[in-house]
Amino acid sequence: MSLLRINGVSKTFQTAGGPVHAVRDVSLEVAQGECLAVVGESGSGKTTLANMILGILAPSAGEIVFGGTPLTDRRSPAQRRAIQLVQQNPLSALNPKRSVGGSVRLGLDVYGIGTRAERWARVEAALEEVGLPADMRRRGPAALSGGQRQRVGIARALACEPDLVVLDEPTSALDVLVQARVLRLLNDLRRKKGLTYVFITHDLAVVRNVADRVAVFKSGRLEEIGPTERIFSAPEQPYTRALIGAVPVVDDAELKLRNTLAEAP
Amino acid sequence: MSDILDIRDLTLAFKGHRGLTEVLHGISLRIAAGERVALVGESGSGKSVTARIILGLLQETGSARVAGQVAFDGRDIMAMHPRDRAALRGTEMSMIFQDPTSSLNPTFTIGRQFAEVMHRRAPRLSRTACNARATEMLEEVSIPDPARVLDAYPFQLSGGMNQRVMIAMALVNHPKLLLADEPGTALDVSVQAQTLRLMHDLVEDHGTAVLFISHNLGVVREFADRVYVIYRGRIVEEGATDAVFHAPGHAYTRALMDAVPRITGVGLPEVPEVSDAFLAPMVRHGSAS
Ligand SMILES: Nc1ncnc2c1ncn2[C@@H]1O[C@H](COP(=O)(O)OP(=O)(O)OP(=O)(O)O)[C@@H](O)[C@H]1O
Ligand SMILES: Nc1ncnc2c1ncn2[C@@H]1O[C@H](COP(=O)(O)OP(=O)(O)OP(=O)(O)O)[C@@H](O)[C@H]1O
Ligand SMILES: [Mg+2]
Ligand SMILES: [Mg+2]
Repeated sequence: MSLLRINGVSKTFQTAGGPVHAVRDVSLEVAQGECLAVVGESGSGKTTLANMILGILAPSAGEIVFGGTPLTDRRSPAQRRAIQLVQQNPLSALNPKRSVGGSVRLGLDVYGIGTRAERWARVEAALEEVGLPADMRRRGPAALSGGQRQRVGIARALACEPDLVVLDEPTSALDVLVQARVLRLLNDLRRKKGLTYVFITHDLAVVRNVADRVAVFKSGRLEEIGPTERIFSAPEQPYTRALIGAVPVVDDAELKLRNTLAEAP
Repeated sequence: MSDILDIRDLTLAFKGHRGLTEVLHGISLRIAAGERVALVGESGSGKSVTARIILGLLQETGSARVAGQVAFDGRDIMAMHPRDRAALRGTEMSMIFQDPTSSLNPTFTIGRQFAEVMHRRAPRLSRTACNARATEMLEEVSIPDPARVLDAYPFQLSGGMNQRVMIAMALVNHPKLLLADEPGTALDVSVQAQTLRLMHDLVEDHGTAVLFISHNLGVVREFADRVYVIYRGRIVEEGATDAVFHAPGHAYTRALMDAVPRITGVGLPEVPEVSDAFLAPMVRHGSAS
């Protein structure tokens, strides 16, 4: 069953310089328990799509259906809790006046998750799961490194016990060891709790290792969508091939795969 | 002795409610004029704070305790008057911040912010000249519609567009030293490659040196001449890029290299337990440069 259905969704921004067509007639589905990667050109509408799924932006056309119910811009608390976002820009996502622990706790208070007495313990556990010491919760976001802030964003989303998490570049500020730890955590949650992910990223090597399917965006359009294995072994669109052919790699096996794709017609 | 940057025994601690937190435990790092040097390592290990000290920003933060030597182009940054340090920023050295929103002003258009940067170097530059130059720079970082971007506010642009704007602003005044803190995280691989080429050309044409901070080891391998690896506030390995990638000598560097996700899809890397070996003494590869 598909948990999320995006039906002919478009988004046009009106600006002083004329309309900007950020998302153009996109349709796709995400199954319960699936990890769908969204990759593509910078500026191709990925974050705009994420914001529409979250209800931060209203589509100009089309509809978004979650668990069988079309979503409106007036969502119930249960609907808001069920879909969480990890924002691309961790600094602007965190309130500078709140401690980072306070930011994580806010969701628990708003949605009434856990008893009041146990909420700080939940906050600390959520931080520890992403590799942050529990006592870091007292600090403000300005006193954290880029990757530490990014992990607070992940901890905050997961603490709300969502069904669907939209992750917008969730590990771009993490070294590969911490990244592996966070990706393993996400995988475990998927297995244990059936979480569903829309995983937006420019890191195709991460995509190759975590996603079930991949959606490729260019200029606001869905260029191609398919199983990860197929996208990497036999991309249909020249744009997809060019994208994979340009990934910076570290070992010879990767270099070989990349070159095969770059040379193909 | 043509080092553009020479850092010795740099230490940093932050004063908090519960006393001092030590962040840098005496790091030494140098960059020759025109050299591309990468600083890679653990999240939270001290890369961004090091860049902020070079820029002279952390010295002016009340809670930071900075000690050690930092020489830029033969001048002692630590002893310098804050006003003189400020004069260097955006002219002789510039920085691409890890977080675009922290350095772009949300209330001004990109065009206006671009002009401000150019006026630091050339106060009399006309508006038309500013616009023409900014347009040219935005094209160089693959911004498809520079006119729209110059009229836009940061919130109207995508993450990668803001990042490219910052890169263009950091390059426009031809600094002697560019501090690039995770410059490509929001860029697709083609734009990233284009941007790296641009930085590369700048180095060649204007002798700009680059301190390149990145978690993307594939990019580091393609871009940098030399690499420093940092773990918990200590440099654990230093050497020519080839040497470090082909024969990583320190346990932490090896763990890092092994954990790079591969596009061949061999699965998520195992995460080793933090080992005492990660705290072993620094490994230095023969001084090739
Ligand atoms: N509030 C807004 N007003 C006007 N235009 C906007 C607004 N938000 C986004 N856009 C435009 O919509 C397009 C898509 O932006 P979006 O942020 O969705 O891209 P993206 O795919 O997330 O890119 P990146 O990979 O760089 O983060 C861009 O051209 C951007 O300038
Ligand atoms: N104002 C502050 N007060 C206390 N600790 C701080 C402050 N600013 C930074 N730190 C700590 O200093 C350490 C180094 O931070 P820095 O931002 O340099 O890390 P980084 O290497 O850039 O990491 P990342 O890769 O995650 O960006 C971090 O552990 C951070 O929590
Ligand atoms: Mg985006
Ligand atoms: Mg940093």
